[in-house]
Amino acid sequence: MAKDIAKMRNIGISAHIDSGKTTLTERILFFCNRIHAIHEVRGKDGVGATMDSMELEKERGITIASAATNVQWKNIDINIIDTPGHVDFTIEVERALRVLDGAILVLCSVAGVQSQSITVDRQLKRYNVPRVAFVNKCDRTGANPYRVADQLREKLNLNSVMMQVPIGLEEKHEGVVDLITMEALYFDGDENYAVRKAEIPSELQAEAEEKREIMLDALSMFDEELMELMMEEADIPVEVINRAVRKGTLDLELCPVFLGSAYKNKGVQPLLDAVENYLPCPTDIENKALDLDNDEAEVILEADNGKAPVALAFKLEDGQYGQLTYIRIYQGEVKKGSELYNIRSKKKFKVGRLVRMHSNNMEDITEAGAGDIVALFGIECASGDTFVQNGMNLSMTSMFVPEPVISLSIEPKDKKASDKMAKALNRFTKEDPTFRTYVDEESNQTIVQGMGELHLEVYIERMKREYGAEVTTGAPQVAYREAISSSVDFNYTHKKQTGGSGQYARVAGRMEPMEEGEYEFVSEIKGGVIPTEYIPSCDKGFQSALDKGSLIGHPIVGVKMTINDGQYHAVDSSDQAFQTAARAAFREAYMKAKPVILEPIMKVSVEGPSEFQGNIFGSINQRRGIIIGSTEEGAMCTVEAEVPLSEMFGYSTVLRSSTQGKAEFTMEFAKYSKVPTSISEELVKAFQEKNKNK
Amino acid sequence: MVKEELTKNSPLRILEKATHGGLGKGNIAVIASRRGIGKTACLVHIATDKLMRDKHVIHVSFSSRTDHILDWYEDIFREISQKRDLENAMEVHDELVKNRVIMNFNQDGVSMDQVLNSVKAMIENGQKGTDAIVVDGYDFTKNNDGNVIAKVKNFAKEMDLEIWFTDSYEGEVVQEGAIPSNLKCCEENLSVIMVLKNEGDVMNLNLVKDHGNEIKEDLSLILDSKTLLIARK
Repeated sequence: MAKDIAKMRNIGISAHIDSGKTTLTERILFFCNRIHAIHEVRGKDGVGATMDSMELEKERGITIASAATNVQWKNIDINIIDTPGHVDFTIEVERALRVLDGAILVLCSVAGVQSQSITVDRQLKRYNVPRVAFVNKCDRTGANPYRVADQLREKLNLNSVMMQVPIGLEEKHEGVVDLITMEALYFDGDENYAVRKAEIPSELQAEAEEKREIMLDALSMFDEELMELMMEEADIPVEVINRAVRKGTLDLELCPVFLGSAYKNKGVQPLLDAVENYLPCPTDIENKALDLDNDEAEVILEADNGKAPVALAFKLEDGQYGQLTYIRIYQGEVKKGSELYNIRSKKKFKVGRLVRMHSNNMEDITEAGAGDIVALFGIECASGDTFVQNGMNLSMTSMFVPEPVISLSIEPKDKKASDKMAKALNRFTKEDPTFRTYVDEESNQTIVQGMGELHLEVYIERMKREYGAEVTTGAPQVAYREAISSSVDFNYTHKKQTGGSGQYARVAGRMEPMEEGEYEFVSEIKGGVIPTEYIPSCDKGFQSALDKGSLIGHPIVGVKMTINDGQYHAVDSSDQAFQTAARAAFREAYMKAKPVILEPIMKVSVEGPSEFQGNIFGSINQRRGIIIGSTEEGAMCTVEAEVPLSEMFGYSTVLRSSTQGKAEFTMEFAKYSKVPTSISEELVKAFQEKNKNK
Repeated sequence: MVKEELTKNSPLRILEKATHGGLGKGNIAVIASRRGIGKTACLVHIATDKLMRDKHVIHVSFSSRTDHILDWYEDIFREISQKRDLENAMEVHDELVKNRVIMNFNQDGVSMDQVLNSVKAMIENGQKGTDAIVVDGYDFTKNNDGNVIAKVKNFAKEMDLEIWFTDSYEGEVVQEGAIPSNLKCCEENLSVIMVLKNEGDVMNLNLVKDHGNEIKEDLSLILDSKTLLIARK
C-alpha cells in the first residue's frame, strides 16, 4: 500500500566537513530503532558508521557519495539522504539536493558558520529547500550556540530563531529547555537514550522567558491568531506556535535553531520532532519537470498517486546482487511488474524488484507512491535519468551534459588489475555522465576524462579501493581545441597516375570560422562538376581531418566547409580519391586560415576570510585569471574569477598554504577561449618535439 | 566605427570640457538624483567610456549582487556598440572585461576603512594600474560627518585615481543649481557634483559644482529615457 503523503518527509543533512553530520545521522537511525548498535565514524570496532558504506569513506572519515535510508519516527516516515560535505564533491551534493524536500543544516557550536556551510546554504537556497538548523557539539570546549545563531543571521542572512536554550554548555551540557512547551529536557537515561522532562532549572527561568519572548515576536509575523493572542497576553497553545514555525519555515522566511550533541546523544529526539512538525511533506513542495517536446519548458508535477509516474534516478550503487538505482518518485505510483520508460536512453523497462533501503539492508515492497524514495534492482540506466510512463516526454534534469575538460592516461599495474579496471570504468561512466573513458589508438593507452583534477583523482582512488584495481597515472592533460580565425578559399587537386589504376579528384571551395557548432558542410556544386555520389566523400574527407588539428593534434571545432567547384575523371575518380583530396584540401586551407588554440576556462569561486583577500587576488592574477568580482560580507569574502584550467593544477595546495588553510574554492567549466600567443607557441613547439621523437 | 572614433565622439567629452578637462586623478565626483532615475546607468556609462579608452576601472557596489551589475554593463555596452556600429565588438568587449572588476560590499557590516583596504588589496594584487573607481549605492546619510569622504579623498590622492559616487536623495526638493543637503557636510572634498533631474519629459544632467569654477552655462546633456545613456540634448 502506498503511504500517506502527509506523513512522509524527505530530508537531507547538510553541513561543513567534520560538523558531525554522519554521527547525527547515525543517532537518528538509532533512535528510530533501525540499527542496534552505534558505530562511530572513526570507531575502533572497525565497523564504521552505517551510512558510510564505501571503504574509502571509512578510511578518511568523510562521506563522499550520498546514500538514502528510510526510518520511522513516531508515525512519520522519513527518508534521509546523506549528502557529502566535502567541497570537492558538490556535484553529488547538488544531485542529492534535488530530491530533498527539507534539510537539517548541521553546525558546529564552536566553529559556527564555516565556509562550507555558506556553500551548502547557497545550494539549499538555490533549490528552495526549507531547513532547520542543529547546533551540534554543545559539549565541546568553547561551545556557544548563541553566537552560531547570530552568525546564521549575519553570514547566511537567515531569520534564525532559537527554539531551545541549552542547559549547561561544554562538559556541563545536560539538555535543553524547550521554549514552546517551557519544559526542561534531559537526556540522561540509560546511555542517554530516554528523554526526561522536568521543570526548568530556576537559574535558567529568566533566560528562557526572555528567549521565548524573542521567539514569539519573530513568529507572530507568520500567524495572525498568534499575534492576537500575544496582544491579549493570553496563553498560546502549542499547536498555534507550531503552525507559525511551520509556515515560516516552509516559506523559507524562518530558520528554527535546535541544539545538542549528537555524539553524547543529546537533543536528537526533539530535532526529529522538529522534522515532523516543521519540515515539508512532498505535497508542500512544487516540483518541476522539463517538457522536451516544448523546448524544455517547465511543467509542474503533482505528488498524486493517481497521475502518470515521473521519477528521477539520483544515485546508482553496486550492491551484492547487482546494480541498485535510487529513485525519487515525483508523481504517480511505481509498482513492481509495471513498465517505465527511460527518457535518456529511450528504452522501456520492467520494474523488477522494488526495495526500500536502510543504508546497507533492504526491504522488498510491491509499490511506492508519489513523494517516496525507493530503489530499483537491475535497471540499466545512468545517474540523473528520468523514468516516466511510456508516451510522456518529460525530463527532471536538463539533457545538457558538459564536455570533459581534463584527461589522464591510466595503466593497470598487472593483468588482474586490468579486468578490474575495466569493470570499474564501466560502472563509473554509468554513474557520472561527465566521467568518460576511451582507448587512445596511437598510444594504446586508456584515457579517462573528467571535469577537474580532483574529480579524476577520486575515481582513481575508488578504483583501487572498491575494485582492487591498482593503476598508474600519467600527468593530467587539458582538453585543448583548435579553431580557425579567418576565412580562406581552397582549391586542391589530388592526382596519382603512375601505373595501375589512377586516382584523380579536385575540390575547391571556402573554409570559414563558425561561432556556434562544431562542423558544418555545405555543397554549392552546380552542373555536376563533382558527381553527386562523390559529394558525401568530400564531407567525409573533411570530417576525417577534424579529429587532429595540425597545430597541436587536438580536435578542431567551429569550421564551416563549403564546396563550390571541382573536377573529376571518368576512370580515375573514386570515393577514396575525393576523400583524400578533401582531407588534403582541409589541411592546406587550415594552416592558411590562421588557426588558434582554444583552452577550457573555469569559473572559479574562492571563499575565505577578508584578511587574506590580497593573497587570493594575487593567486588568481598569477594564473592568468580574470577577476570578475568580489563580495564582502562581514569577515568573509568571495572572489569570482575566470581562470584557464591548465593554470589550476595544484591550486588547492597553493591556496591552502597562502591562507593558512582558511580559504576554499570551487570551480566549474565556463567556456573555451583563445590561448595567448606566447603560450600557444610553446604548445605548438612541444607538440612538434613530441612528433619528432616518434 | 572603430573604438577610438566612438569614444572621441562620446557625449561624455562634453562633460569633460565643461569640467575643465574632466574630473582628474585624486578627485571625487558625485552624481545625485532621486531613486530610480538612472544614476547606476550613468555610472556604468562613465565606467564603460573609460574602459573603452583602455583604462582600468573598479566598480564598487553597496546595493546589488555582482551578476546584477554585470547585466548593467552588458546592456550599456550593447547599446553603445550597436548604436554606433562598433567594429570587432566581441573583441573589444573581451578586452573591457579584463580591465574591470566588480567589488560588492554590505554597507551595514563593512566600514569604509575596510572597503578602502579591500580596494587597495585588489589594486595591488589583481588590478594594477586602476585609473578610476566608481561607487554605486553608497548611502551618504549614514556616517554623515564628512570624515569618511575625507578618507576617500586621501585614498584617491594616494592611489592616484578618480572616484565617482552616486548619491540618492529622497524627499528633498533640490533647487536649480543647488547641492543636495546630504552632500553638504563633505562638499569640500567633492570636486564635481552633478544632479540628474526630471524636468518635464526629459532627464537633465546639471552641473552644480565644477572644481572651484563658476558654472556659466547649461551642460546640454540628458539621460536618454529609452537607452539610459547619457546623450546630447
